[in-house]
Amino acid sequence: MKMKRLITVAAMASVVLVGACTKSCRGKKDEGSGAAGGAKKVFRYVRTSEERSLDPQKQFDEASADIVTNVYDTLLNYSYLKRPYQLENGLLETMPEKSADGLSYTFKLRKGVKFVDDACFPEGKGREMNIDDVIYSLKRFADANVNVLSYVLMEGSIEGMEAFREETKKAGKATDYSKLNISGLTKVDDYTMIVKLTKVNPLALYPFAMSQTSIVPREAVEKYGAEFERHPVGSGPFSVKENPRRGEMVLVRNPYYWEKYPSEGEESDRANGLLDAAGKQLPFVDEVRLPLIEETQPAILSFEKGQVDVVAIDKDNFGKFLKNEGGKIQLNPDWANKVNFYTMPGLSSEYLKFNMKDSVVGGYTPQKKALRQAFAYAMNTAGYIDLLLNGRAQQLNTIVPHPINGSESTNPTQYFEYNVQKAKEKLAEAGYPDGKDLPEIQVEYRSTAATVRQQWEYVRDNLAKAGIKATANFQTFSAWLQKTEKGNFQISGAGWQADYPDPENFYQLLYGKNTPPGPNDGSYDNAEYNKLYEEIRYMENGPDRYAKFARMNEIIKEDSPVVIQYNQMRVGLVTPWVRNLKRNAMYNPPLKYVDIDLERQAKGM
Amino acid sequence: MLSYLVRRLLQMIPIVFGVALLVFILFNTVGEDPVRVALGTHATPASIAELRAKWGLDQPYHIQFFNFLVQIVTFDYGESYITGAPLSEMFLDGVLVSLSLTAPPYFTAVILYVSLALLIAYYRGNWFDRISRVTFVAMMSITYLVYIIFFQWLLAAQLDLFPIRGFARGLDGVEYLMLPWVIILFESIGHDIRMYRTIFLDEIKADYVRTARAKGATEMSVLFRHVLKNAMIPILTYTVIGIPYLILGAFLMERFFSIPGVGDLMINAINTGDFPVMKGLTVTIAIGYSVFNLLTDILYAYVDPRVKLG
Repeated sequence: MKMKRLITVAAMASVVLVGACTKSCRGKKDEGSGAAGGAKKVFRYVRTSEERSLDPQKQFDEASADIVTNVYDTLLNYSYLKRPYQLENGLLETMPEKSADGLSYTFKLRKGVKFVDDACFPEGKGREMNIDDVIYSLKRFADANVNVLSYVLMEGSIEGMEAFREETKKAGKATDYSKLNISGLTKVDDYTMIVKLTKVNPLALYPFAMSQTSIVPREAVEKYGAEFERHPVGSGPFSVKENPRRGEMVLVRNPYYWEKYPSEGEESDRANGLLDAAGKQLPFVDEVRLPLIEETQPAILSFEKGQVDVVAIDKDNFGKFLKNEGGKIQLNPDWANKVNFYTMPGLSSEYLKFNMKDSVVGGYTPQKKALRQAFAYAMNTAGYIDLLLNGRAQQLNTIVPHPINGSESTNPTQYFEYNVQKAKEKLAEAGYPDGKDLPEIQVEYRSTAATVRQQWEYVRDNLAKAGIKATANFQTFSAWLQKTEKGNFQISGAGWQADYPDPENFYQLLYGKNTPPGPNDGSYDNAEYNKLYEEIRYMENGPDRYAKFARMNEIIKEDSPVVIQYNQMRVGLVTPWVRNLKRNAMYNPPLKYVDIDLERQAKGM
Repeated sequence: MLSYLVRRLLQMIPIVFGVALLVFILFNTVGEDPVRVALGTHATPASIAELRAKWGLDQPYHIQFFNFLVQIVTFDYGESYITGAPLSEMFLDGVLVSLSLTAPPYFTAVILYVSLALLIAYYRGNWFDRISRVTFVAMMSITYLVYIIFFQWLLAAQLDLFPIRGFARGLDGVEYLMLPWVIILFESIGHDIRMYRTIFLDEIKADYVRTARAKGATEMSVLFRHVLKNAMIPILTYTVIGIPYLILGAFLMERFFSIPGVGDLMINAINTGDFPVMKGLTVTIAIGYSVFNLLTDILYAYVDPRVKLG
């Protein structure tokens, strides 16, 4: 017995000893002074995946864009506080001025915007940005040797860009921008440029707010070469101080930054203190620390210790901190006075899509429409959101997510309500009373994750209650893409993340000319819908456009090429000393706007 | 000896070739398509073709495989599809980190657990042996993930004995590695001690042990001079063969403690179809395994004079 006790005691003692030693060795990390001479303000934000590239023109993933948008600037950007999201003039003096024929826009660059200090500039001092930098950056965006991922965002939009890209393909690494020009980009003076479009297209401005068109200085690209991807030099609110591979990235404030905190927002923003800093110089924090934490537990434990300021909450941890009462998310009493939380409706739609060419679920006869409508009636989306997503989603009546101008908030529409009886009636109308003679339907999923399998079980149960037998096929993302694009499916889980906050980006998913390899891989094709889409495509938002949306929604409901479900909502916790944080789906994370209340921070949670 | 070495090194060629072929087939049949993952839902036929050409995936399979073999011979696997970083740089950086995570507890475990197993073997059949057997079987039944989650919660978050997560280079990193080391030691204790105990018990029952005892050798002398020495062959096999895997790190540990090692690199590569990383790591492990296998055989000859190489 003595021996066992001795071993146990020795083991525990060594663990405690080692721990105590490391604890005593741990020092305070955020010492130093801030810009105003006071204590340094440090904001800690969790990165959940590694960036692929910090070169604006080479990156095309969310993790990279999160950093690029905080290190570089774009010509246009999105309102921080105002909703629905709207374009603002970013690096420009004013919004681009449209010519009388609608084909050209004049871009006037803000004066006095400077790149951060860096060894690539003479004497290491950041210089002023000019229109040559803008044209250079857009050439990089169009250069086939630089950008192989995101060119599609501007493809066919600007005059001469296609021809320029073809030339870069031919020239390869010998491409010389001084000898190659994009005819649709004309320099007027050091701060002015005219952009000529290939056709009248109000949507053509959106790509100028995307991180892939951020403005980069030629000197940095030339000095750092391949290393430019890990050594960004921008004019954004922060610059990268430390960027260890797969480690904690550190950003420091750019002392030259030009932007002030916005003075306009939604009505509730003033009451929430989000306009208290109106007109003040950005950014507020001296340093941003961005640890890479890929798993949920360490992120949440770090948050509870006050070691990170924001943490996303997933399904499994939702109940510990939050509750969903009648669709309203609130903090649990244990946490209500300790932390704050946020909700952010995403700019995405989740839905099930039918292969309209499938012999069973496809087709346009009244029976086929009735069969698809039976699926729509059978889906208990509200229950799905409540049970599987803890209320972290908004049910949709149209394919356009709620936060977008032109969604159901401006254009009321009623989609099918969950009704098993009606589902059975529609099934009978389709020629399958109680599901008799209806073959087993296969549903494709683009993931093999356990959460997706759980979601499928709920869908399967919904369908079974209506008399529809179905089975699921779980696969990798690329396998799913290949299968759906080839039209080799019956029904598939699907979702779309907005490229820009305009309903057109979602209605195009059902446009007849966008069949594979376009995004309409269910091959839906309705002449009236197509005509309406072509009309709304380049229209400004307003009553006329909304009326056309209403008709398109009716057609979608009648034909049911998709079963519309929900748009996801992000939910997370925030330490009580963080100020000015309003989650923004078009600018994430909004590092330059957040502030730290040092007095509150000193008190801890 | 030299001819033995040459023969064994030549035998490695078909092994590495087989591994390369298997990895290549798996990547091209069941893995993610890196082009589609990178382009996502925005892919157009033109952009797919451009990216395939850039990564050399538009070449016929036999050319791609030949290029892969050239890379193996030259030890140059090019650049990651995903980050564009040179593989050699990524590996070197990641391998050193992974080794700092896995090597200290690995070798500590060998010394500690061999000693402990010898002690348990000495007390074979009595209460100490029985209790330890039950305890270690129970510990073996708990998954690695549970150890990580529990110890991170208890020792780091609740008792504040260790940092919850993090990593630093050099000696500063020790404080972050302490808890992962403790967990690795805990996780391996059941399996390792059970195995070493079995090895020792096999030896203890051998005739030469009985002879030694009959000649009046003390129990300590029997255990340390006779049993331990003769048990070295299986112990060596187990220990040395495990060394190449140390560079692969401990994937779960790296993810939960934000340690930038190779294990996590490999998992991310599989998820994103980053073939250069996958093939580089797989072939490196295959070569490492073969080399350490050879090393084990050579060590046998030094440990046990009955073993002759040739």
